[in-house]
Amino acid sequence: MKIGLFIPCYMDAFYPKTAIATLELLEKLGQTVEYPLDQTCCGQPMVNSGCNRDAKETEELFVKNFAEYDVIVAPSGSCVHNIRDNFDALEQTPAVKHVRENIYELVEFIYDVLKVREFPWAEFPHKVGIHNSCATLRSLRTASMSELGEPFFSKPKTLLSAVKGISFAQPQRPDECCGFGGTYSVTEEAISAKMGLDKVMDHSTAGAEYIVSADTSCMMHQQGCAERNHVPIKFIHIAEILNGARA
Amino acid sequence: MATHEPSARDVILGKLREKRVPRPTDYPLPGIVTLGDMDRSVKRFEDALQLLGGDIWAPQSGETLEDAVRRKFPDAGSICSATDEFKGTLKITDLKTLQEADKVDVMVVRSPFGIAEMGSIFLSEVELHDHLADVHLAQHLIVLLSRTALTANMHTAYQERQEFKTAGYGVLMSGPSATADIQGVLIRGAQGVRSLTVIWTD
Amino acid sequence: MSTKPVPHAKAGAEFLQEKAHLQFHDERLWDIRQKRDHQMHILPEWQELRQKASEIKEHTLANLPEYLEQFERNAKANGIHVHWARDGQEHNRIVGEILSEHKAKSLIKSKSMITDECEMREYLEPRGVTVTETDLGERIQQLDDQLPSHVVLPAVQKLTGDVAALFAKYYHTDPNDHDPHSLAEAQRQAARPVILGADAGMTGGNFLVAETGTFVVCTNEGNADLSANVSGLHIATLGIERLVPRMSDLGVFIRLLSRSALGSPITQYTTHFRKPKKGGEMHIILVDNGRSDRLAMEQFWSSLKCIRCGACMNTCPVYRRSGGQSYGAVYSGPIGAIIDPTFNKEKYSTLPFASTLNGSCSNVCPVKINIHEQLFEWRRVLAEENEIPFVKKEIMKMAGKLLSSPRMYRAAISSTNIALKTMPRFVLYNAFNQWGKHRELPHPVSETFNHWYRKNRLKQSGQTSQQTGAGGQS
Repeated sequence: MKIGLFIPCYMDAFYPKTAIATLELLEKLGQTVEYPLDQTCCGQPMVNSGCNRDAKETEELFVKNFAEYDVIVAPSGSCVHNIRDNFDALEQTPAVKHVRENIYELVEFIYDVLKVREFPWAEFPHKVGIHNSCATLRSLRTASMSELGEPFFSKPKTLLSAVKGISFAQPQRPDECCGFGGTYSVTEEAISAKMGLDKVMDHSTAGAEYIVSADTSCMMHQQGCAERNHVPIKFIHIAEILNGARA
Repeated sequence: MATHEPSARDVILGKLREKRVPRPTDYPLPGIVTLGDMDRSVKRFEDALQLLGGDIWAPQSGETLEDAVRRKFPDAGSICSATDEFKGTLKITDLKTLQEADKVDVMVVRSPFGIAEMGSIFLSEVELHDHLADVHLAQHLIVLLSRTALTANMHTAYQERQEFKTAGYGVLMSGPSATADIQGVLIRGAQGVRSLTVIWTD
Repeated sequence: MSTKPVPHAKAGAEFLQEKAHLQFHDERLWDIRQKRDHQMHILPEWQELRQKASEIKEHTLANLPEYLEQFERNAKANGIHVHWARDGQEHNRIVGEILSEHKAKSLIKSKSMITDECEMREYLEPRGVTVTETDLGERIQQLDDQLPSHVVLPAVQKLTGDVAALFAKYYHTDPNDHDPHSLAEAQRQAARPVILGADAGMTGGNFLVAETGTFVVCTNEGNADLSANVSGLHIATLGIERLVPRMSDLGVFIRLLSRSALGSPITQYTTHFRKPKKGGEMHIILVDNGRSDRLAMEQFWSSLKCIRCGACMNTCPVYRRSGGQSYGAVYSGPIGAIIDPTFNKEKYSTLPFASTLNGSCSNVCPVKINIHEQLFEWRRVLAEENEIPFVKKEIMKMAGKLLSSPRMYRAAISSTNIALKTMPRFVLYNAFNQWGKHRELPHPVSETFNHWYRKNRLKQSGQTSQQTGAGGQS
């Protein structure tokens, strides 16, 4: 199985540590991974703004970069949701379909495809609050949704539970959106930032030292809100914890 | 030949028939739905009624219905009855104006059935002798109900009770009038009755 | 009608400044959402109920003209006058004519979103008809000359102090008495004489039953039962989409409606009107006002399934923080954002963007409207039809070019990181930086992942450096 690694634009630019951890983790799990150098973005900013036609060339570039891989893995739920569910600015060729059907968010890939449940190298002696992005929660379905009353499950929590020393904080509104929403974060910046701060405070009040998520974009926003308001809470991507980061 | 402007009715129906975007063949009518708890016990009814702010009241041994109601509302000036089995200070059919109804402290009615799921009681023009507004203008409501006249839930109610198809006016009351429109504080007796009390008569 | 786009972001930001209101609003609606969850948890059949409700509504909408005719036939046979209105204006004219035939000058009404949609009060009052809302929340909004903030909680954005001030002005109550009990009592006392003296009563309605010609009105205050019955004239206004085929279908909807709306099992009053009262007259106005057009919209027709419970508003994290008034429309919140543009694309072009597309609304919807997917679809429609700001459209065009060119993209990333590292704070956090108004920017890093990968992995693997040539310098 040849894996193509997709690292979203903001992660490439601002969170290279997370990208490195994703690569190393997949390798620790015995996978052969390649990172196509000409990748940029999945086109989500244009798609979610309604400007679908402006996403066409970006989507084409994405397919060109990734069509040759058996599987594509990305440490970002919202990008995977966009590619899987909304990638329709371009003609649906077999290559496009292949890419859309074979892209996985990292937690999904580990949980459902590799079916790995143990990370013997991992130890994280901290209390964490899990932030499921709305894309992972309600589109990729990696955790149960409170609105539907379905039996509890959480793929990220199941994976994290294998990490030595970790404990979990229970926020009051675990499924509440943090307000990032891609371009929403700037079109309605004040409301977005208030939602972000509320989210951060919910985790902080519940005793979380860290917010952990499979989506760095949500955390970039939350971190910005926490820092501006001097809320002492740290942020870490699930890939880093599973890869063995201690702090 | 005179030309007639099509009526609003014909224009609307015409537009609805023009495109038929949801196609009738794609959306068959589901069968009649009967779901949920089929318990039609007095206990379920009472729990549901109390959740919605209604009361249960029982005559003490040897007490008449009239005494029981008087004990519940010792200060009531006028107790109006809509049913022959209860003798109030006046009858609903005696009420000639809304102003008279507005002065009624307690209205006593017989309900033909209740719904256990909701603690709801049914009233129509039959029980109210066509005094439809008067029951809502009174301050308090006493409902006489038989333990055997309970249906399990909303599905069974609509399927079994013919009153829904025969009454001109049929109201399900589930507790008294209520509002929480001022800062979320629950208040009983917004515009209609301030309290609703069920008395079992068997 | 104003066609300037509603400034949702700005109005929402203003509501955020009202700290006490904001906190109450968010907590109150969240509490209702939790009560709704509780009702769902105690009913194992909840999801099946939602599914059936959706199927019944879909079937009804697919057969709407036939069911409307059936309804009309039965209602007429029961002695009800049935009217049809193409739009708000026609609706208002019909109401005005019925009232003037009866020389009715005082109209009391229970809550109805559709009369707000038709701007009926604005039409009737200059014609000498006094219209009095009898629902407490709706009355508060009427006194304050505001649209309802929420479909079932019209005044949820107000605190007791606001109500006390309004009532002091109009009912001459003590402005310092902020006790909700005495305020509600003041409304009861003020409303009673108006109710007793009314010439006509008006209600909305939640459901029309084709099989029997019945319409159903759900309230908690009992004000619809008073409005309908005190005078000899009852006018009911309902949208043509309110139909269900059979009486038994009500079982499904009544079980879902109040549980979804308020987390209470049922409204205190569920009233079935099938015939005029003895000696009275009853009129029903079936209103289209854009509904037939909406039914012909492939992506959006299913929004007509809505039963107006407001669950999507209660769960919406944006609505809870921006408040209903920020939508500048009769219908606010997520459902408003997908139906308002069908009334006026330009004016409500901002509303589908007043969402993070988080999807919670669709999950709580008792009739399973895919609200967040329709929000997404509306964005496409509005962008295609040039109903989004020119600047935004240009930015997206540029972003599309940048993100499809690896070379330009690498150069942009590298200059962003350099800027973050080297620019003084006052330059970075300037007036154009929407991100930075209430948030810190991400921290700059010494190298991008792309650069790290080229340096650390390319040599070991068989992978070759591709054609960008930008080298990932940052």
